Amino acid sequence: MREVYVAGIGITSFSRLEYPLVEIAAYPGLMALRDAGLKKVDHLYVANMGGGRINGQTGLASAVVDHMSLTPAGAETIENGPASGASAIKQGYMAIASGMHDVVMVIGAERMREANPLEATDFVATLTHPQAEYIYGVTLPALAGMFTRLYMEKYGVTARHLAMVAVKNHKNAMDNFYAHLHEDITIEGILDSPEASTNNPYVADPLRFYDVCPVSDGGACLILTTAEVMKKINKPMIRLAGIGQATDTHCVHERKDPTELLAVREAAKQSFKMAGVKPSDVSVAELHDAFTILEIAESEEVGFFKKGEGHLALERGETQIGGKIPINPSGGLKAKGHPVGATGVGQAHEIVLQLRGEAGKRQVKNAKVGFTCNFGGFGNNVVCLTFIKE
Amino acid sequence: MSVDLEKILRPVDTPLPKFPAKYMTLANGQEMVVRQAERDEIPDILPHVEPLIHVERDFYNIVAARLYSELLAYYTYRVQDEYVLVAQIDGELAAIVNGRSVSPDVGMSYHTFSLRRGLRVGAHAFATKMEYHIDILKQKEVLIVAESGIGFRRWMIEYNLEKRFHIPHELGGCPSWSLTKELFDKARNTLVVGRRPVPEHLLEKAKAGILPPSDPPKGPEDLLAATRSMLDSTATSLIEMRRKQGGKIK
Amino acid sequence: MELNIYAYKCKRCGELHYPYKTICKKCGENDHNEFDIVPLPKNGKLLTFTTLYTLPSDYEVVTLALGIVELEDGNRITGQLDIKNPKIGMKVNGKVEVVRKDLYKKHLGMIFYKA
Repeated sequence: MREVYVAGIGITSFSRLEYPLVEIAAYPGLMALRDAGLKKVDHLYVANMGGGRINGQTGLASAVVDHMSLTPAGAETIENGPASGASAIKQGYMAIASGMHDVVMVIGAERMREANPLEATDFVATLTHPQAEYIYGVTLPALAGMFTRLYMEKYGVTARHLAMVAVKNHKNAMDNFYAHLHEDITIEGILDSPEASTNNPYVADPLRFYDVCPVSDGGACLILTTAEVMKKINKPMIRLAGIGQATDTHCVHERKDPTELLAVREAAKQSFKMAGVKPSDVSVAELHDAFTILEIAESEEVGFFKKGEGHLALERGETQIGGKIPINPSGGLKAKGHPVGATGVGQAHEIVLQLRGEAGKRQVKNAKVGFTCNFGGFGNNVVCLTFIKE
Repeated sequence: MSVDLEKILRPVDTPLPKFPAKYMTLANGQEMVVRQAERDEIPDILPHVEPLIHVERDFYNIVAARLYSELLAYYTYRVQDEYVLVAQIDGELAAIVNGRSVSPDVGMSYHTFSLRRGLRVGAHAFATKMEYHIDILKQKEVLIVAESGIGFRRWMIEYNLEKRFHIPHELGGCPSWSLTKELFDKARNTLVVGRRPVPEHLLEKAKAGILPPSDPPKGPEDLLAATRSMLDSTATSLIEMRRKQGGKIK
Repeated sequence: MELNIYAYKCKRCGELHYPYKTICKKCGENDHNEFDIVPLPKNGKLLTFTTLYTLPSDYEVVTLALGIVELEDGNRITGQLDIKNPKIGMKVNGKVEVVRKDLYKKHLGMIFYKA
């Protein structure tokens, strides 16, 4: 197998974008081509979840490859729920490692705000089990709410811990031009003041408004290539070193212990093993914090902290920029935004920026090993990536 | 002239109790003051509303245009029993709400206008307006319509308004909905916030002058993009195509 | 007629599945439809719950209480709750009723009450 490197990256704002889905996919692609100094690619993977349902655009990859005048390069649309982005990166990796292609463009793109928020929530809720969950009105926030209640009961996580995750990620996003939310929220404003319960109402008790990611549009792109091509383009050598993927039961109620995210644990283990590193080697991580509780739970499952101690590490400030293991320096899904199909590519974009040392004010010092966890469904399909700076 | 025309044109206002100013902490820790705007402050507000007439997104254009006329009508005494409340953060104009009193029992809500997106500024301002009608003016119900989806969600989901489809609303358009005292009392604990009295320094800062919003809503960056979109609920592409035909855009 | 929610019992090893699976998760039995249909019990204890405030647009109610219940036989089920102040671990009793209306279609599911 050949080694795989990141040649170029590009991103749009993760906010509300009022142009067609095809363009949301094409602009970051264009930026990445410029970044890499390349004109052509051999193959295109486009991660997207809602094109057919929300935007009336099926076969997105075919539309994008033509829009970017990259024909006759091959192109495929990858749909793997909210983990579509990292899944597409995985396809790109396999195409290059296998020797099939030399330069592959991986794009994630989503335009959810074309639908109203209720439709968008219902669209994401179709990820749940149609007969055993969806018909009851179960949505992703509902599953996260039930998960949070168990977690609080079992490990002593409190609303304050959740708010601390939100405040940290919102603060990080203040330095990220491309982030969706530039709101410098405070614990006082969302938890302690007499107005806090109105500022921060329940969405799925015990989860509140500021515990849940926004509905975003956005696109991101990574161009992957071989060591040989890297020699010609003079870009920092960021290697995609490890990939892990695992699945879990579709219904959350079928899991032996519903507080355990076994797919996260397994995917992270595979990813670290393939890269030949340990969780303690990671200098910066982007975890899938669609709900604040997930950042805490994932930080434990991937092995940064012991199970049930993630919130204690958070209290000690270990997950802040400058801490032992900075998590979500981009603002995470919580504040950077969550355009479902694009999220995984967006996470990788941030890690590449960090490893290159181009993250500006939110730069993590001496970042050598970066990690992403892209979480599909409610933890039923998880893809973890490990990047290493050479 | 023997007849003073102004005397005929100007409606006679009923003396209404003033809204006692209140303040609240926002999610970002900043404090927002909501208070009644005096008639002579209207010229200070208008310049901040005017630019939003040209923001073709989320119905800002139509709401700004209508609000502008309502503010002007209030300033020049052309609507009876109108009032205007403003929300300010550090003196900056954050939201404007207005309406009028139809009778001792019925209030008519006009517009809710946020100049600062997010942080529930609009929600707080709307709740304050309802508080003014129900608690201060002691009215039994407030009639409401909405122009935008954001407004519709607010009163449908948060307040669960009653239908009053047989009563026309002064703003025209879709049928009226009503927030009754009963519904307001139900929402009181979760949606209506604010503390009184407002600390002296906050009120002074607010009254010292209505400062322009530092980050007002802006239109889409690429107006032409809307013409390439399949769905365009705000009809931006239509407006844009007309403008192109007028030769104003290259 | 009493309505039930059904689990699928593997004809070879007896493992119960809810919801349905094509291949037995325990013994891997893969002959087509080698499952017996068994009604799920209706009594159990509440494992976790939430009150949802942002509902899909086809619901007319403002909030919806949802929970996961561990049934008498150890199986678990997700359902709606009609309980005033739910608590983790409380005993509940389920009934099969309409849980969602989709135009002319009515979906049946388990709604749990305080036992």
